[in-house]
Amino acid sequence: MLEIRDLNSHYGKLHVLRDINLQIGNESVGLFGPNGSGKTTLINAVMGLWKPTSGSINFNEEDITNIDTYNIARKGIALVPQERELFPGMNVQENLESGAAYIPHAKDELESSLENVYSIFPILKERSKQLAVTLSGGQQRMLAVGRALMAKPKLLILDEPSLGLQPSLVSELFEKLAEMKETVSILVTEQNVRESLKAVDRGYVLENGSVALEDSAEGLSTNPHVIKSYLGL
Amino acid sequence: MKTSKNLQLTIVGIAAAIGILLILWKPSVLIYGLQGAGLYAAVALPMALILGIVGIINLAHGEFMMLGAYLAYWFSTQFGIDPLLAMIPVLISMGIVGVITYKTTIHRVLGAPELNQLILTFGIAMVLSQVVNLIATSQPRKLSLDYVTASAKVGELSFGTYDFIFVAAAVLFLAGLLFFLRRTKLGKAAVAVGQNPKGARLVGINVDRTYLIIFSIALGLLGIIGTLFLTSHSIFPLVGGSYTMKSFCLVAMAGIGQLKPILWGSLALGVSESFIMSFQGYGGWADIVFFAIIVIVIISRAYKRTES
Repeated sequence: MLEIRDLNSHYGKLHVLRDINLQIGNESVGLFGPNGSGKTTLINAVMGLWKPTSGSINFNEEDITNIDTYNIARKGIALVPQERELFPGMNVQENLESGAAYIPHAKDELESSLENVYSIFPILKERSKQLAVTLSGGQQRMLAVGRALMAKPKLLILDEPSLGLQPSLVSELFEKLAEMKETVSILVTEQNVRESLKAVDRGYVLENGSVALEDSAEGLSTNPHVIKSYLGL
Repeated sequence: MKTSKNLQLTIVGIAAAIGILLILWKPSVLIYGLQGAGLYAAVALPMALILGIVGIINLAHGEFMMLGAYLAYWFSTQFGIDPLLAMIPVLISMGIVGVITYKTTIHRVLGAPELNQLILTFGIAMVLSQVVNLIATSQPRKLSLDYVTASAKVGELSFGTYDFIFVAAAVLFLAGLLFFLRRTKLGKAAVAVGQNPKGARLVGINVDRTYLIIFSIALGLLGIIGTLFLTSHSIFPLVGGSYTMKSFCLVAMAGIGQLKPILWGSLALGVSESFIMSFQGYGGWADIVFFAIIVIVIISRAYKRTES
């Protein structure tokens, strides 16, 4: 579904992504690594928010390396960014509707998608008329995930979804993600490796801008390097 | 929450009391104030639209209105049509001017620091007024139209009625814009872009095209108001400058992205200006009052913000 080949990227002279190769099929994939390892840059490159210096990104056999973000979204990739990027002056329901309204394959099923999102996140239904800016951080995170799901994406990308969430919500969020992976492919970056390993099938470990490890979730959770650096056992 | 409601009621009460006093004492002040307010509001609304959605302070705002007025003058003298009819070609031409201006200049400074954006639009303002000056000279132009002198008489008081057209324009602009932004797909997308351009991209909105359309719509509206301005004012290349300043003040007073408060702000300013002008020999104080009120409102807003 998503195929990244030999991707390189620079911030000025800084080489932040080095020959990244990464594939995602109909599965749930984790992207791990410390701060500054290039996770967010990689995701921004996929989403067209950051132009890579070389290499290619293909989505469903189509080259999307230099396509505008809005077109990538319309092709079926939805991003839940770290900063959530909601519409603060719109209420919860308007935010959700905006997720589907501009995506050709999603706008006709807006009503059923809305029901679906409300059943996954009942709190959003309770708050449907409340302005997004008045929600708590955790609720805003759920709204951002809900808005991405409204687009009926083929690939859902989440950038550090657990950031700033209280621990009970983190496990809840990953439980929901584990349920969702039946219907949508997922790419998730996380610092909370322990929780997210429960929700993904496979994972990549990014260090200093290159792929240091690539294994199944099980393989990663028993890998001595991962245990030492990320699970802290 | 409750105190702010009380405060609002107090302000409305004071405004109503001032209004009643004025009707009894100087009714013409209220009428001319209302007419002046209509013009201010109609000019300021497109600026609020550009600032709220594209995020650019357009210092060439008044100059674009001036350009619209000159285009209307040209269409009506060249083809012998009534300026109100010339409004249609002016609207279209200004829309095209909007597309060209956006594509060649505005588009390039969107990600730039605000100072660069200000310098750019300030430069556009100078280019526009100087080009018009070269082509049309600085000689003031005015059309003599019969219907502009229409007047009405209520009791002892007789007053010009034509300038109520600005009030109508302001109300129509506001209603039209609110309908566009709340009910149409493009309008809703524009609101989303205004609130969060990155978020808008992520949900599949073509942000750049939205900016282009909004900028062109705003310039089209300025074409309309420029045409109306021409019918009852004399025009010259530098006529727009003060409207840029006044629009900017009204937009700042209303708060970024707010359209409705522009109407109330314009009303307060229009009436107080015409009140000052009603005293023989003190007309020059009108602008000072205008800007003094703006300063008071902005300071009190900032004060309220630090309190809360």
